[in-house]
Amino acid sequence: MDSLILDARGLLFRYGPGDAPAVDGVDLTLAQGELVAIVGPNGSGKTTLLRLLLGVLAPERGEVAVLGRRVGAWDRRHLARVIAVMVQREEPAFPLRVREAVMLGRYPHLGPLGAPRAADHAAVDRALSRCDVAELAQRWTASLSGGEWQRARIARALAQEPRALVLDEPTANLDLGHEMQLFELVAELAHQDGLAALVVTHHLNLAARYADRVLVLHQGRVAAAGPAGLVIRRDVLEAVFGWPVDVSRWRDTPQFTPLKRSEINP
Amino acid sequence: MKWLALALVAVTALVAAVMVGPAGYSALESLRALAGRADPATVAIVRDLRVPRALLAFLVGGSLAVAGAALQALVRNPLADPYLLGLSGGAGLGAVGAIALHLGGAWALPACAFLGALLAVALVYRLALVTGSILDARVLLLGGVVVGAFAASLMAAIMVVSPAAELRNALLWLLGGFGNASWQAVLVFGAYAVLPLAALYLASRPLDLLTLGEEPARYLGADVERVKRLVYVAASLLTAAAVAVSGIIGFVGLVVPHAIRLLWGHLHRSLLPAAFLLGGTLLVAADALARTVIAPVELPVGVVTSLVGVPVFVLLVRRWTR
Amino acid sequence: MRFRLLGAMLALALPACGGRTTPSSGTSLDDVGHRIALTQPARRVVSLSPSTTELLFAIGAGPALVGRTRWCDYPPDAASVPSVGDGLDPNVELVVSRRPDLVVLYASAGNQSVIARLDALGIASASLKLDRLDDLPRATRLLGRLTGTSPRADSLAAWYQTRLDSARSARAAPVRRVALVVWDNPPIVIGAGSFLTEVVALAGARNVFDDVAQPSAPTGIETITARDPDMILLLGDSVPSLGRRPEWRSVRAVRERRVMPLKGSEFERPSFRVFDAIRSLRASLAAVAQR
Repeated sequence: MDSLILDARGLLFRYGPGDAPAVDGVDLTLAQGELVAIVGPNGSGKTTLLRLLLGVLAPERGEVAVLGRRVGAWDRRHLARVIAVMVQREEPAFPLRVREAVMLGRYPHLGPLGAPRAADHAAVDRALSRCDVAELAQRWTASLSGGEWQRARIARALAQEPRALVLDEPTANLDLGHEMQLFELVAELAHQDGLAALVVTHHLNLAARYADRVLVLHQGRVAAAGPAGLVIRRDVLEAVFGWPVDVSRWRDTPQFTPLKRSEINP
Repeated sequence: MKWLALALVAVTALVAAVMVGPAGYSALESLRALAGRADPATVAIVRDLRVPRALLAFLVGGSLAVAGAALQALVRNPLADPYLLGLSGGAGLGAVGAIALHLGGAWALPACAFLGALLAVALVYRLALVTGSILDARVLLLGGVVVGAFAASLMAAIMVVSPAAELRNALLWLLGGFGNASWQAVLVFGAYAVLPLAALYLASRPLDLLTLGEEPARYLGADVERVKRLVYVAASLLTAAAVAVSGIIGFVGLVVPHAIRLLWGHLHRSLLPAAFLLGGTLLVAADALARTVIAPVELPVGVVTSLVGVPVFVLLVRRWTR
Repeated sequence: MRFRLLGAMLALALPACGGRTTPSSGTSLDDVGHRIALTQPARRVVSLSPSTTELLFAIGAGPALVGRTRWCDYPPDAASVPSVGDGLDPNVELVVSRRPDLVVLYASAGNQSVIARLDALGIASASLKLDRLDDLPRATRLLGRLTGTSPRADSLAAWYQTRLDSARSARAAPVRRVALVVWDNPPIVIGAGSFLTEVVALAGARNVFDDVAQPSAPTGIETITARDPDMILLLGDSVPSLGRRPEWRSVRAVRERRVMPLKGSEFERPSFRVFDAIRSLRASLAAVAQR
């Protein structure tokens, strides 16, 4: 019922009339409380899929439903109250303080002139402390480190008070510590706070350990989908990434290691 | 508190502009004339010349500042200026064309300048429409520069063919001035500007969101394409009317939004009205300076704003890059 | 015998000392201090200014004219002389194609490069300042020398000087105050730097902007209103009627409809027609004042 936030079936999309499909026959569901990861090589259609799910692109075939209703039928502002999106790259054109940037997340809830009320300030405060950036509130966003800026952006997403979070490569330029911090935060938000989280990432091993389900895309199609155990397999990974790998287990989760040439068995 | 100070400064500037002028009345005399208690000639000068002139300068300055602030948000570039849209070239071409064709009538020159500006804007808009109805901000800027340059060269070609005297007169008009201000002009411009100004103010929230980028803005609920179109059209209409009424007055649309950003921040809900007040104040002051500093000769207002605007701009840029 | 030889040598030496009195001399200086490299009277003259074209015809050098600007409209005979385009920033190639031995220009800063190019081509050039009434006799005499028409030129210059002197001494206190308006938006008025200010003074009126040093300058309606001229003279043929403009209503002369166009090329430059111009202007001013 209402716990299914996103429901996409049979999505087919082509950029130009004669082109090969960028997304071909993809199904995806996202429910409350779960963290789903989308992985795949560059050009496999990850970003296109996101745009289809968010209603920015219209599929040639198939449908996307948000909370049971077709995504195209949603008003943009109301959709922003349900789904919060963090795009890959974001750079404010003018200097903003962290608190102001996070307050922008309240805009789907504000009136036409956008004057924040007490409830809005409270939501911003909650978001700031949940993401551990409360003490950065008066800093200029341009002065933040990579990790701090990503957490601040998640705080803005939380300020939208959404049911689902969609994150496109949120750890792209982060170092190890910050990357782990971010995954921990997103996992908490899904498993403890009950949000639905959809994360596009390159980090297959971390996806395997944090996500409830993983979707592997290859040339626009779903190469494998399901819990990590079903997806992180030698045959799947070698077919998708075109490189020999070894799959082992860490605690209960399969982890892969790409092989050096000298390590490949003859 | 800041609002009160700004409003006070604006009113002071307006009153001062009415009290000052080449006719050389004392402040007291001017104020009495305002109330109608002086000889008819003095009253005529103060009421029919100075007051509409000050009001028109205020309206034009405010409009240019608001248009500049909105355009800076639209193209996500703090260096955007209303005239980057190719407007000034188009307006100049229209004006010079009117002069060269000896079109008579009081409104011939402003009408032709307005039409020329709109034509240039339409051309740039068309250029910037990539794949359907998406307005590409970078092409907007580039297209504006190119169209402006093209129009300027057409203008130069016309001027080559005209007698030297007419050329000089056209140039003097282009450099900007409020010499033809009348109550009629104030009412026409005022009535006209209300709609674009209101539209821009109502777009405050989406403009804030655009600061983050087009994609984030879309995901936060803004109808990005519609906002871009609206801002572009409203800002162009304001600037075209300003040029038609008073020639090309630079720097107000570029520098005032920056000064306000430094003092008030970037939220358009307060940025736009504050920019209007400051822009109006500055242009009223510049006009008062233009008509008194080398009296009886009047400097073009555009010259004063450039002379003052350039050092101020340099200061602002240094603060930005700090 | 020795004295006569000495006298002859002195007579020949005099031209070398800045010769302004010897006809058809090769070392005259023009109004910008440039040497005019002519050794005999010019046979083919290109005139790059309407005022000098008019002058050349007046002194009888019309037949020697082989080129004029497209703005040269007086006398009517000038139309039969081929046009070489503009006088300011002229087309040097066209000028040279007329094979002149003398090019007469208006003394402006922009013509410096033209003079340099003519020098390089070995063509004599003379730049003349013709802004004020006083400039005319000097220019006339110089052109007379250069074209070998000194008798006519000198007598014309002398006649002009006499009439000018008598007009000046007969000058009474000005009866009327006028403003000469060239353009309306922004309002541009004529100042003391233009010969028109003196023309107006000799016609019995005073230019209320005679404190402005330039030939013309932009000003404001407020200034015009404050200076309260009795009438406004409109120059140029594209200034629209001021009476219909609401912002000009504050000027008394506009309200009382004492606005008069000044048409005719005699008001565009100093020329021998100036005395007729003064006379007709005096009459028109009186007529407008009676209205």
